Amino acid sequence: MTDPILTLQNVHKSFGEAKIIQGVTLDVTAGERHAVIGPNGAGKSTLFHLCSGQFAPTKGEILLNGKNIAGLKPAEVNKRGLARSFQITNIFPGVSVFENLRLAVMRKHNLQYVFWRSAAGVRRVNDEVDDLLTKIRLTDRAQSLASELSYSEQRSLEIGMTLASDPQVILLDEPMAGMSHEETDYTAGLIREITQGRTLLIVEHDMSVVFSLAHRISVLVYGEIIATGTPEEIRGNARVKEAYLGEEAA
Amino acid sequence: MNFKYIILFAAVALLAVLPWLVSDSLLNAAILMLIAALFAMAFGLLCGQAGMLSFGHAAYFGVGAFASVHAMNAFDGEGLLPTPLLPLVGAATGLVSGILAGYFSTKRTGVYFSMITLALAELLHALAPHLKHVFGGEAGISSFRMPAWGIEFGSFTDVYYLTLVWTLLSIGLLYLFSKTPLGRLALGLRENAHRLRFLGYNTHALSTLIFAVSAMFAGLAGALQSLNIEASNYVVLESQISTAVVLNSFIGGVRVFLGPAIGAAVMTFFGYISSDLTRVWLLYQGIIFVLVMMFLPRGIVGEIAERIKNPSCDGLAQTAITMAQRIASLAIAAFGAVFVIEFLQRVLSTEYRAVARDGHWPDITLFTYDWSPVSAVPWGLGIGVFALGIRLAIIVNRRAAARQEAQA
Repeated sequence: MTDPILTLQNVHKSFGEAKIIQGVTLDVTAGERHAVIGPNGAGKSTLFHLCSGQFAPTKGEILLNGKNIAGLKPAEVNKRGLARSFQITNIFPGVSVFENLRLAVMRKHNLQYVFWRSAAGVRRVNDEVDDLLTKIRLTDRAQSLASELSYSEQRSLEIGMTLASDPQVILLDEPMAGMSHEETDYTAGLIREITQGRTLLIVEHDMSVVFSLAHRISVLVYGEIIATGTPEEIRGNARVKEAYLGEEAA
Repeated sequence: MNFKYIILFAAVALLAVLPWLVSDSLLNAAILMLIAALFAMAFGLLCGQAGMLSFGHAAYFGVGAFASVHAMNAFDGEGLLPTPLLPLVGAATGLVSGILAGYFSTKRTGVYFSMITLALAELLHALAPHLKHVFGGEAGISSFRMPAWGIEFGSFTDVYYLTLVWTLLSIGLLYLFSKTPLGRLALGLRENAHRLRFLGYNTHALSTLIFAVSAMFAGLAGALQSLNIEASNYVVLESQISTAVVLNSFIGGVRVFLGPAIGAAVMTFFGYISSDLTRVWLLYQGIIFVLVMMFLPRGIVGEIAERIKNPSCDGLAQTAITMAQRIASLAIAAFGAVFVIEFLQRVLSTEYRAVARDGHWPDITLFTYDWSPVSAVPWGLGIGVFALGIRLAIIVNRRAAARQEAQA
């Protein structure tokens, strides 16, 4: 097996008395599409918050490329090559689609405190934004306000912004939530395309998407990972069936 | 858009020849309008573009004003700091105080940010009368504009051009700033600071910098005011100054680039005219603000920009006619309202109460006619005209709505 790019070692997270994550250990291999599934309230989103720097774990280590990133600020984690999308659409609604992506792309080129040159004059940034627009298939909506996009287009934009920093590891939090069948198929294809050569960690409720998209699946129940394996292994796992899939089969 | 540049060029040309067109008194009003416009533009960068509503921008205007008065006295308008360059002192002081105040206030966002800016400004305002060396106590500090570069700076015209050049230069710089990466990130802060953090930006540093740039231009505007009135007094730190810039900017439209400037210019001009005509001009200012916020929430310029961007399906001629009808009916309503308010103000004034005794109510002169306050005629006339105007406005709006429905 190749080296893990993202490793969680015995990670705990409590909010006061509530123990949300209770000793999660997980290896995400470089280049794989890894899904985390589990019933509502299992702690999937919290796990993402821990990996992306929103929260610091109460205990345990999170290693990205062998370096501990637990407790770093979101901006730091992002710089080290991990970017995430959000369960709730998290874009810049009042500006154009182009501007959304430009804001996302500028960071990579260290254009933060720059006030002596025009943003539109940086060719590399423009080229990358155009490239992203093509990838997420929003080229003809570039000048629309982000708030005027349809729901699935906004989700695509969200994914595009996650890609902008050219991260090694992408965390997608329920990218298909609230989508119709067509939209789901469309977005699944998009995710397949854009994660070429990257590592994906995805939380998703739509089982058909998870089982067709993921190389490996981890099942999180009450803050613990009860199984990790290929889709076939997970399908055949008795504990998983009992804890989670059983409800759906019934 | 070419149309935009033609209007812009015409406006600048008009400003350039203004001293030949208007009296000294109006030229003085124009200076005040330019200063208020620049101050509002500085505020607009922070509030409109970066989404941070400062309730204490008088502080940075004020420190700029005082710093330039001190510099005027220290250099006598010669040497390193000749009179035309004095605004740079205001800008530098504004920038430094903006970095300090911005560092603390931008640690919080939303209402908490607003409260910190308010508290900092009030702190300075309360402190100022006690720091006699810096703020000159109750009397303030005065100074003289000295001639420099072969210009006297004695006439309104000289001061007007000095103010005009600095204001246009600053607004130009603010425009260019809005196009830079830092200027674009201001929009990101307004729209979704949380997302910016996850994209890897340091939002606190960004907010501090944008706050500082805003304070810098506020300080420059303060310096221009000191140069104009050749003095500075701690009343420039009053919360009324902070409030006025908020109201002016929102009336103009805080999210469109020139909105704050035009709002401030219009309201300053309105104040200049109406404060001579009526004692209750602040009430009118307040009513205008409430009405603009209720019916034109994007502000005057914002609403016009929106109409140009998304023209109604009526076509240009019909839109113009509807607009004219609306303005006419609102003018009728405004006349009625003004009549009632002015009449009421006269009836309630202390002068009138001194002459109106023992059930004797002398007539009141308003709009060159004498009216008896105990008769129903003046009240009925005012309220009737007001109601007529409102009724007409409703009819115009209904017709416009019906036309749109018919087309849809």
